[in-house]
Amino acid sequence: MKYQSQKVAYLFFATSLLLLCLQLVYGFILGFAHMGFDVLHDWIPFNTARATHTNLLVVWLLCGFMGSAYWVIPDESERELVSVKWAVIQWASFVVVGVIALAGFHMNWWEGRKFLEIPRPLDYFVVINVLLFLGLIGATAWKGKRFTTTGITLIIGLVSAALLYLPGMIHFDNQVFDSYFRWWVVHLWVEGVWELIMGALLSYLLIKLTGVDREVIEKWLYVIVGITFLSGILGTGHHYYYIGAPEYWLMIGGIFSALEPLAFLGMAIFAMAMSRKGGRKHPNRIALRWTLGCAVLSFVGAGFLGMAHTLPQVNLWTHGTLVTAMHGHLAFWGAYAMIVFAMIMYVMPQMTGRNLYNGWLPEWAFLLSNIGMIAMTGAFAVAGIAQVYLERKVGMDFLDVQESIEVHFLGLVLAAVLFTAGILMFVWNFVQFGIPQNDVLTSDDEEGVYAEATA
Amino acid sequence: MLSKSSARLFFIGGTTFFSLTFLALTWDTVSQVPERSNAHEMNESVTRGHDIWNDNNCMGCHTILGEGAYYAPELTKVVERRGEPWIRVFLKDPQAMFPGRRKMVQYNFTEDQITDLIEFFKWIQNIDANGFPPEPDLAPKVQNAMVSDPSVAGATSGTAHVMPEMMKTICISCHAVGGKGGKVGPALDDVAQRYSRTELDRWLADPQGVKPGTGMPDLKLSDEVRRELVEYLLNLNGGGNQ
Ligand code: HEM
Ligand code: HEM
Ligand SMILES: [Fe+2]
Repeated sequence: MKYQSQKVAYLFFATSLLLLCLQLVYGFILGFAHMGFDVLHDWIPFNTARATHTNLLVVWLLCGFMGSAYWVIPDESERELVSVKWAVIQWASFVVVGVIALAGFHMNWWEGRKFLEIPRPLDYFVVINVLLFLGLIGATAWKGKRFTTTGITLIIGLVSAALLYLPGMIHFDNQVFDSYFRWWVVHLWVEGVWELIMGALLSYLLIKLTGVDREVIEKWLYVIVGITFLSGILGTGHHYYYIGAPEYWLMIGGIFSALEPLAFLGMAIFAMAMSRKGGRKHPNRIALRWTLGCAVLSFVGAGFLGMAHTLPQVNLWTHGTLVTAMHGHLAFWGAYAMIVFAMIMYVMPQMTGRNLYNGWLPEWAFLLSNIGMIAMTGAFAVAGIAQVYLERKVGMDFLDVQESIEVHFLGLVLAAVLFTAGILMFVWNFVQFGIPQNDVLTSDDEEGVYAEATA
Repeated sequence: MLSKSSARLFFIGGTTFFSLTFLALTWDTVSQVPERSNAHEMNESVTRGHDIWNDNNCMGCHTILGEGAYYAPELTKVVERRGEPWIRVFLKDPQAMFPGRRKMVQYNFTEDQITDLIEFFKWIQNIDANGFPPEPDLAPKVQNAMVSDPSVAGATSGTAHVMPEMMKTICISCHAVGGKGGKVGPALDDVAQRYSRTELDRWLADPQGVKPGTGMPDLKLSDEVRRELVEYLLNLNGGGNQ
């Protein structure tokens, strides 16, 4: 840690992991309900549990991104944050808005718009909060000593994510428009600007962990985010096939979304190549493992499994089935959860001065969570494919099909237990690091001052 | 080799070009959607139905136009699939229709709210969604592959009476006749041998009164509809003489 103010990231990371644990609790409620045990139905019906599950996901990821930005931006612009006090206020208000939204879901206060269930009055608070965040980050970068591609890409990603939240706040009576502009948020986030955030954090980590020259890494960053937008913007069309939008979207969405995996493939190759090229052996191997794992699994979950159902001929049958849930889990995990984990794992030793990256705990956290998530994806895949064939292709009744695939949700829940064990280990590891210390000012920077410490 | 500045140019140029293309296509889509979605048919009732749909986050269990959750059925064509009367009865007490199975929240909708929801669904089902939801394309093949059982096939066609509307839209979702229909309640082909006219009539009028705790809902049938149903049931399979 070079700057004391970077410590504020800790608040965001801790909150992030706490919310993740809560997300998993709701995941189990959903899994059990699908298995036929909707025992909480009277208190937490499925739609409440689901809105809570997915919104917690979005909130903890955003929280992780914000924490990462508070860490990376001072480092990249070589100065302290403009105000730690306001950063703490921003954190606290973010938590308050989040808690109100989640409590509201349990009292039928929401909007039935998938992923954007937060009611509009609260949206305004979200906007104010995010403006405060961007102000702090932006002012720090502006007053900084240097502008780096990594820092700027991160800021462009965060600013565009905020801007794209706005179309989701417009009210439409026509369901088709409602859906059309809802995708400006959901799709253009995960297959657009969030990839910028991911790409920037990936290059930051690779620069730090592999020692490859910044110029080389940042050049490829431009190429990758270039491919992201080249394919991802018109790729939005893969959500416009069957919602009442014109037919040309079948062609445009099909072609451009089929190119989207290239960006993820690019990230995977880029990360692998850089780690191979890098001569430097950073002692924090586990952070590197999360970084590479992120690059590879995002390709599998988003690229490969996205491709599996993105062509209109396939999507006609799989649209709105458990096949989508299969892809959603591995994509979110590989691309966005793992990059946040990589950041946490890289940052914690520096913030606390403890090198707890060796030993069995972080290793097993990595292994179990990833094996668990891949197995969960498998369970969703089997259930989803069976659903597509029985319900959509053969025309069996919905509930009859659901009963016949209940057993795969037993598989899902068992896999989720493995996954959760991994997550709990990660969280325990995080707790062991303790809170940030005042005196640890190391410079784990590009010039490679750090000793070849083998802790 | 590619330089960093040309990589930056590729990023900025590509992003600008494709953003502008996307905006142009959006412009065109926005101008086409009112017609494709029959926006002129969106009366106040449809809008109210849409609001009910939104305010209760129905999408948190169901999909509509393929968007939503995967816990409850796709509803784009629900009016076509179930018919209005069925939806009316179902929404008044969802759990009564599928006892012991996956539960839907009991919203206690008023008659007017149910009307609004049905109007909303009727509007949704006429949107031109490029062929979604598709017809099950393997269904004919599966049926051809099964050996047809003439005794079953004959059961319905041999019946003198036409199936009453109520039977077609409501009862069939739980009971089977001639091998077709739901499995929640028993098949009805041979009820005529088991019950008399009075027994059937009393049962339909008040299932809970006859057999407390039964899963069969009180459908609040009018006298006329009830008579029609009883008549039909008594004549199934040639009456009591099979
Ligand atoms: C990290 C990036 C990605 C994430 C987090 C992600 C996540 C998701 C989620 C959560 C959904 C469900 C959305 C909903 O129904 O409301 C979805 C749908 C979809 N995704 Fe992705 N995705 C990613 C990348 C991709 C890519 C690269 C492709 C294509 C190659 C793709 C193809 C699709 C398609 C076709 C659907 C629609 C499924 C349907 O019709 O039900 N996704 N994605
Ligand atoms: C304990 C672990 C988990 C379990 C048992 C679980 C289970 C489920 C279930 C049953 C659904 C609902 C599908 C439906 O609508 O019927 C769901 C939705 C979803 N979950 Fe999870 N989940 C877990 C963890 C996660 C994690 C870690 C992530 C992200 C990395 C995640 C992301 C999602 C997303 C994006 C959706 C919406 C999918 C869609 O609409 O297509 N879940 N989850
Ligand atoms: Fe998408």
